[in-house]
Amino acid sequence: MNNTAALRDMSSIRQQQSRFEGLTPGHRACQGCGQALAARLVLESSGPDVVVANATGCLEVFTTAWPQSAWTIPWMHSVFSNTAALAAGMEAAFKARDISTKVLAFAGDGGTFDIGFQALSGMIERGHNVLFVCYDNEAYMNTGVQRSSSTPVAAATTTSPAGIARTGKRHLKKDIVAIIAAHCMPYAATASVAYPNDLKDKVRRGIQTPGPAFLMIHSPCPLGWMHDSAKGIEVARLGVETGLVPLIEMEYGQQTSAMPLRRVRPVVDYLKPQGRFRHLFADDPMARQELAHLQALADHNIAHYGLQESQPESGDSHAAASVRRGTVAVVPPGAV
Amino acid sequence: MAERMTRGGFAQPGSAMAFKTGSWRDLVAPRHLHGLAPCAGACPAGEDAQAYLAPLTNGDVKSAWEILVTANPLPATTGRICHHPCETACNRGQFDEALAIHAVERYLGDAALHNQWAYPGIPQTTTEPAVAVVGGGPAGLACAYHLRRLGHAVTIFDALVEPGGTVATSIPPYRMPKEILQAEARRILETGITWQGHTRVGSDVDLDELRREFAAVFLAPGSQRTKPWDVAGVVPAQLHDGLALLHTWMEVGSMPPWHKIAVVGGGNTSVDVARALKRCGVEEVHLVTHNGLPWDAEDPMRAIAREVRQAMEEGVVIHANCGAERLLLRGNRIIGVVLVAMKKMRGADGKWHRHGFPGTEQVLMVDEVIPAIGQTVDPSGFESLLQGLDYFDVDHHGRMTHHQGLYAGGDARSGSSGMASPAIGDGRRAAAAIHAALCNNPLLPEKQRPLVPITEMHLQYFETAPRAEPSILPVAQRQGEAEIEQSLTARQALDEAVRCLSCGNCMICDNCWTFCPDQAVLKLNHTIQGDGSPYVFDMAFCKGCGICANECPTAFIRMAPEQDEQG
Repeated sequence: MNNTAALRDMSSIRQQQSRFEGLTPGHRACQGCGQALAARLVLESSGPDVVVANATGCLEVFTTAWPQSAWTIPWMHSVFSNTAALAAGMEAAFKARDISTKVLAFAGDGGTFDIGFQALSGMIERGHNVLFVCYDNEAYMNTGVQRSSSTPVAAATTTSPAGIARTGKRHLKKDIVAIIAAHCMPYAATASVAYPNDLKDKVRRGIQTPGPAFLMIHSPCPLGWMHDSAKGIEVARLGVETGLVPLIEMEYGQQTSAMPLRRVRPVVDYLKPQGRFRHLFADDPMARQELAHLQALADHNIAHYGLQESQPESGDSHAAASVRRGTVAVVPPGAV
Repeated sequence: MAERMTRGGFAQPGSAMAFKTGSWRDLVAPRHLHGLAPCAGACPAGEDAQAYLAPLTNGDVKSAWEILVTANPLPATTGRICHHPCETACNRGQFDEALAIHAVERYLGDAALHNQWAYPGIPQTTTEPAVAVVGGGPAGLACAYHLRRLGHAVTIFDALVEPGGTVATSIPPYRMPKEILQAEARRILETGITWQGHTRVGSDVDLDELRREFAAVFLAPGSQRTKPWDVAGVVPAQLHDGLALLHTWMEVGSMPPWHKIAVVGGGNTSVDVARALKRCGVEEVHLVTHNGLPWDAEDPMRAIAREVRQAMEEGVVIHANCGAERLLLRGNRIIGVVLVAMKKMRGADGKWHRHGFPGTEQVLMVDEVIPAIGQTVDPSGFESLLQGLDYFDVDHHGRMTHHQGLYAGGDARSGSSGMASPAIGDGRRAAAAIHAALCNNPLLPEKQRPLVPITEMHLQYFETAPRAEPSILPVAQRQGEAEIEQSLTARQALDEAVRCLSCGNCMICDNCWTFCPDQAVLKLNHTIQGDGSPYVFDMAFCKGCGICANECPTAFIRMAPEQDEQG
């Protein structure tokens, strides 16, 4: 088979995929981009009857290198601050015209925690039926890795560099889910790209929720976090297993679920593969203190969200991603 | 108007798919690499357990058996008596517990006998030259079976009346029921093989005659002559050989009226003799072996661990790392034996020697000392070939050096371990070599695949699950010919198949398809022939990030240099 024939074959195979691809390949995300994966997973379980309002950020930039688009659903770009307002407007218009299409709003952590926060709070307060998805890669990656209010404490960014005076960011990561939940919010949840089934379940729940829903997806960024592009899923999983990234659901301000941890890992397992935490492993009292700080934050999360499990269960941090060969077959009739 | 627009203003909007991000790939690309599972790498008979466990996960017992018998025609037999190095090698052993491969093999073998399934792929007619096989044990039966599969006419010559060789004569029925072995052997002969029993090469038929009448001859006469044995130069006046005692016990069911016995040896025969003595009411049975226990890391005895454990349960006392130093005699009569602690150590000459340590002597008061230390080839009839050696000197394919048209395998070949499954492997490889030689085809080397060590697997994706354990007859019920280890139930066998980690091969978990950030992994609704997976890489879009390889539980996806990808 020559090259052209092989390509033609590929496109016919692509058309027969047993899943909805709201995002096509050819997008310009970096190798191993967690956000590109997360966006596809969200659309896989929500599409195709959706429209997307997308804030300025990596996702907007890498999917729409003019004049091409990687989106197969209606998609609209907004400025950094007003994604939620745009989504709210679309939802109101659909409502007025009795259209059932679901409105999604996509933003990064900058467009959620910082710049887009006011519009988001307003959208929720007005009760718009929108699923707002925050792709949390913990800094302004698109503009060159500047710290955001989502950047974890001690992480190095270009505006919170590690050096003699400071060990990366001085300030804590904002507890955005608690703030969102405080809006008498019908559904707010966190997910991770390392647990795609859990992520897709939460998207479905968010879609089914009448009224506003919020989903924050922990999405590794090989460029900004400075890890090997192959290790994105591994790093995301370690984030969950250490307790630093609790996977929870909150309904009307109450925590209604948490993914229990089968085996709690020390935070160093999560920090070690990432260059943004490299300075914490220097022989330096300040570094040791910050390392202990991050461990204390993980321990606090485990206690606060109740992540410690008493015995292995089907939805825990190990079982939720486990695979096996074949299915457990029924014993065929006549077998001895 | 138009001239005032920017150049881009004329561009046609389009899909990002026009932009082939595959050009971003740097040096390495993902590819499917079929690794060799450790079980398959360790199987002396050449079985690929992973391959036959796959249909079993769908409950397809017959397909599983049909895959199994492409390598080994005697699974109900080897499932019972093999020392299963596959399970020792199984990667799952380092995760929780190794798969009970021998038990599944036996289950499949028993299911085939119960349902009277016939071997698949046996040609109706013989199209290839006739071959003689000397010896109807595991090696000879396997060689004849594979030659029949390849279209040859085959005649087996054996000194005994019935097929089975040493497995039939020397393995007690409580671990190898006669009717099972006979049923499997009969099924092999029914593929159109001529059985010439009661015909000993050397006395009843001449080897040169066979070489004239047949295009090739495969020699698998086994090892029938007991090795010479003495203790510090002294041989008991009435030497009872272990294997001969075992033969007698299997035929007439009794042993001489002894009270206390020491058996010397570290192989399965020594354990079988010791257990037979115990069953015949001998009060004290001691087993003295130079080696350690089978589960010791250093210098383990050759006997199967399970059998040694059961022997200990039955009251056999094992003296491991011990040697018989002196016989205590009163006239000609043995009253005891002196044991000494021994260890295998490397000497000044760089070779391994066993050293006895003075001061560690202990005396066992016994009626007899019975050696069961192994056998060598009976040279009668093969003198011209052996030239003083006590084994047939052959290469990996069983080809005898300097003797065209002659092949050998099984216990009689150089370096044999005296086990049944390596003999079956010998027969299979020799059949391929004979077929290639007679058809003037080059003998293709067996496909080499890289072994998948557990360190290359991504074990975070697997759940622990307990190993299927067959039920074992309690010591009090171990009488007569009752088999000690029982078969797995169908439920157990099917559940065990699902425990397979699928090392180095696709288990269709969807991880690569799910985790690719570039949708460069596509899934077909069928598995690809020769690949075993339903996934293809769309290299036009693969950026080479490596996530698919890092999240592939079985190490089936590897990142490899681009130029290799074509080949």
